[in-house]
Amino acid sequence: MFRWRKKLSVGLTIGLSLVLSLVLIPTLTAQEIEPVTILMPAPFADSTRDLVKDFNQKYEKSIHLDVIRGPLETEAISDLAISSLLLGDTPFDALLMDITWLPKYARAGWLEALDNGFDESDINDLTNGAQLGNNYQGVLYRWPLVADIGLLFWRTDLMEKPPSTPDELVAVSRNLQNNKKVPWGYVWQGRQYEGLSCVYLEMIDGFGGNWFNPDRGTFGLDQKPGVNAAQWLTDLIQEGISPEAVTNYAESETLQSFKSGDSAFMRNWPYAWAELQKEDSRVRGKVGISTMVAAPGASPASTVGSWGFSLLKGSKHKEAVIEAFKFLTSKESQLKMFEEYGYTPTLKSIYEDPIMLEKYPYIIELYKALKVGRMRPETPVYAQLSDVLQRNLSESLTQELTAKISMKNATSTSEQIMLAAGGLMK
Amino acid sequence: MTVVYLLIPAFLLLASVFGLPLLRYAWLSFHADSVLTGLQPIANDGANWLRLMHDQRYWQDLIQTLRFAFASVGFELLLGLAIALLLHQPMRKRGLIRSAALIPWALPTTVMALGWRWIFNTPYGPIDQFTSLSGISLNILGNPSFAWIALVYADVWKTTPFVALILLAGLQSIPNDLYEACTLEGASSFTCFRKITLPLLKPYLGLAMTFRLAQAFGVFDLVQVMTGGGPASSTESLALYAYWNALRFLDFGYSATIMIASFVLLSTIVAFGWWLMILLNQRGSMAVTE
Amino acid sequence: MKLKSASIILLLAWSLAPLLWQLYTSFSTDQALVTPFETMANRWTLEHYRSVISANPPFFLYLINSLFVGILATLLTLIIALPAAYSLSKLSTTKSNLIRIILVGCALFPYVLLFLALLEIARALSLGNNLFALALPYTALSQPLAILLLGSAFTSIPPELDDAARVEGLTLINRFRWIYIPLLAPAIASTAILVFLFSWNEYPIALTWISETSKLTLPVAMARIAGSSIHSVPYGAYAAATVLGAIPLILLVIVFQKPIVSGLTSGAVKG
Repeated sequence: MFRWRKKLSVGLTIGLSLVLSLVLIPTLTAQEIEPVTILMPAPFADSTRDLVKDFNQKYEKSIHLDVIRGPLETEAISDLAISSLLLGDTPFDALLMDITWLPKYARAGWLEALDNGFDESDINDLTNGAQLGNNYQGVLYRWPLVADIGLLFWRTDLMEKPPSTPDELVAVSRNLQNNKKVPWGYVWQGRQYEGLSCVYLEMIDGFGGNWFNPDRGTFGLDQKPGVNAAQWLTDLIQEGISPEAVTNYAESETLQSFKSGDSAFMRNWPYAWAELQKEDSRVRGKVGISTMVAAPGASPASTVGSWGFSLLKGSKHKEAVIEAFKFLTSKESQLKMFEEYGYTPTLKSIYEDPIMLEKYPYIIELYKALKVGRMRPETPVYAQLSDVLQRNLSESLTQELTAKISMKNATSTSEQIMLAAGGLMK
Repeated sequence: MTVVYLLIPAFLLLASVFGLPLLRYAWLSFHADSVLTGLQPIANDGANWLRLMHDQRYWQDLIQTLRFAFASVGFELLLGLAIALLLHQPMRKRGLIRSAALIPWALPTTVMALGWRWIFNTPYGPIDQFTSLSGISLNILGNPSFAWIALVYADVWKTTPFVALILLAGLQSIPNDLYEACTLEGASSFTCFRKITLPLLKPYLGLAMTFRLAQAFGVFDLVQVMTGGGPASSTESLALYAYWNALRFLDFGYSATIMIASFVLLSTIVAFGWWLMILLNQRGSMAVTE
Repeated sequence: MKLKSASIILLLAWSLAPLLWQLYTSFSTDQALVTPFETMANRWTLEHYRSVISANPPFFLYLINSLFVGILATLLTLIIALPAAYSLSKLSTTKSNLIRIILVGCALFPYVLLFLALLEIARALSLGNNLFALALPYTALSQPLAILLLGSAFTSIPPELDDAARVEGLTLINRFRWIYIPLLAPAIASTAILVFLFSWNEYPIALTWISETSKLTLPVAMARIAGSSIHSVPYGAYAAATVLGAIPLILLVIVFQKPIVSGLTSGAVKG
């Protein structure tokens, strides 16, 4: 009887102390270690995994960084971020943002300025393309992780050098197709989504035009270069240079087609380079990159599509978050991301490093493209403008309307949107 | 003793999910509330409604939504009737066969929407593989003329079992001696079907139609996952447009305007259909009593 | 006779073929998916299932979340709808008809149009990312159907039975406990299953109320998987997810076929 009681009390004491320690230890340690959470699209979450591990080792005593692996598609991750922000209960301190979201998020008042974390000399270290799209109304809200840029991929086994004008691209493609070297000439992103706006921006600039002129507030879609760009893309499908299915292609379908050797050219982002050098690629070692084609007299243009970190207003760990940004965007991290995953570095010094140039001669092409990087319209209503463009351009690509009429419609709707916005922008 | 108070909790709930939102939309539709106003409502004198009038995209989406709804409900009624007639027959393993027929209806829409995206994929999906044997690639989800048909197909696949079950209930309510009398008079089975089954089934057909039309007008899940509204917005529905306006464009004032306008338009159509059905039923029952 | 068996086979093929195709896809290697008519050594694989199950968070979590919300919403719906339906059956014909019309109107409402206002409610009351809270709109949206179904079941109880119970001095709660609930068990079962299916499958509200990955319900998780793979053609993994997501419901339909059918059909007969 007595013994039994003793056992019970010993058991109880052990149990109680266990419970107490389980409750106390995390609360005690929590005071020292700041938890930081960043939302990233799936590919970035995967490719930064090692860096995050290194970071957590380095800051073992002070910060713990967690990455939420979001969806892959740009729209899907934006929907997720926005619905969290609208709910007012964001389970993350920061997020990796696409370049086109910034004005909208900043205007909605969701972002914290980064001016304290990064200064003028940090900005000067960035390449031209990476300097774009980080500010809204003169305030720095975003720090780039990768400098994404639109590129033309071409097959080194099928031609000596890449074409430089749209006509040349068509001629080379047709020749190769006629000789049964490839089933298709050129694959690109023709689905009605953001990728289509990027493709179009490169072409309208490449024909010497302008999507949106922020100084005058005018649209150039229905001007000659704008219509030419839409017409050229439509003709690619019409004349069989591009498969009809490009009207439903996003990046991954495009890559799939080019990777299996079905096409002579592809428009894609730098990440594709690494994918094309993998073992299952049928074009491994036979790929070159170049800036997008441009009409004679016009300068080639590449859409800037970089991803960068932004800090959310509600975060309770601002300094720790900036610490994490700095670590993840440092030169060492950039090199790792580049060598392992092919992500385009943001720092000038990497492109000017002779050892790098010797080891990866193709980065000179990336550097060139970054120098002609172009921004999509920088306004909080960009999503609407892009949507209008995609929708109307899609109608041209699928032959519902002529290029001219579709671009006219796009212009008038875009003007209405800016007009409606204008009254509220003051 | 009155027991009305037992209805109160249910009606409080209904008021908070149906009444409040509708009032809120009506109010919001007269305000600018978007990213440009810093997500704060500012009265704008009906500018949203003016914009809606001139918004081609809204009217195109309305037409597309109606096209989708009428096409899918039409096929569902036809196919549902055929399936109901079949399931009404005595057969072995009826329970199992009914379960199998019910499965499409029970699965979450998003689950199979993904599946359909793969089945209609160009060039690797089975449909395209099949048609390309004869040298044709339809590029179904990439072509504005076909994509909406793929959506209708997916919707018909999913909701026909529901229609079939309602019609089955109707068939079971028809007394057998009516058929016996009919066949005794020497009429063919088709004549019996036309003279007896169809008129008596009318209320059920009407019920299934109204219910399904109302649901089809709000089509959202299927479109969002299967096509995202593309290509060339040819599959965008009103609900999806309202959703984009709210979550992508952060324009709540306009999104609310779209929703309340759509609600009024669509419920007018449903009410009209209901009224038409009552009218037809009166005629139908008169024909039977004659 | 032959025609009948042929039509049955046709019906089964129509209903099940897309699912079987998903099943086939889920076991095929990516290589096999892009070159369908070629024979190859590594034709079959379990890789897709492995990747779906070992994902973070594991796929089963979504099933558990959906199950939780479904059961909670079903219970809440019954607790509120049963008394309401009882009360409806006691009202005068004009009053109860008026209420029925309101309920039918609500049931016909394309509820997806409510998402924006519901999102605002969730924000105002901090109901986001909470599975308990998510059951509330489901309960509310299920009321019309549940009250209509149960209400017509209540009218089928003979009034003498009710009177006898009152004479015995049974309170309302006791009458529910000993008379109504046992008598209405089949109708309750049908209602419960229909409400459960609705909650399990609901998409737009779950999409806007839940943003944390670990709290997603199955339909939203499925839609998100669509965009989260980094494979070029990720349909193998999608297919594995559709198969895993479909199995619980297929089992449910096979086990509860009778109450589902009677719920839908009695709704049609009396509604």
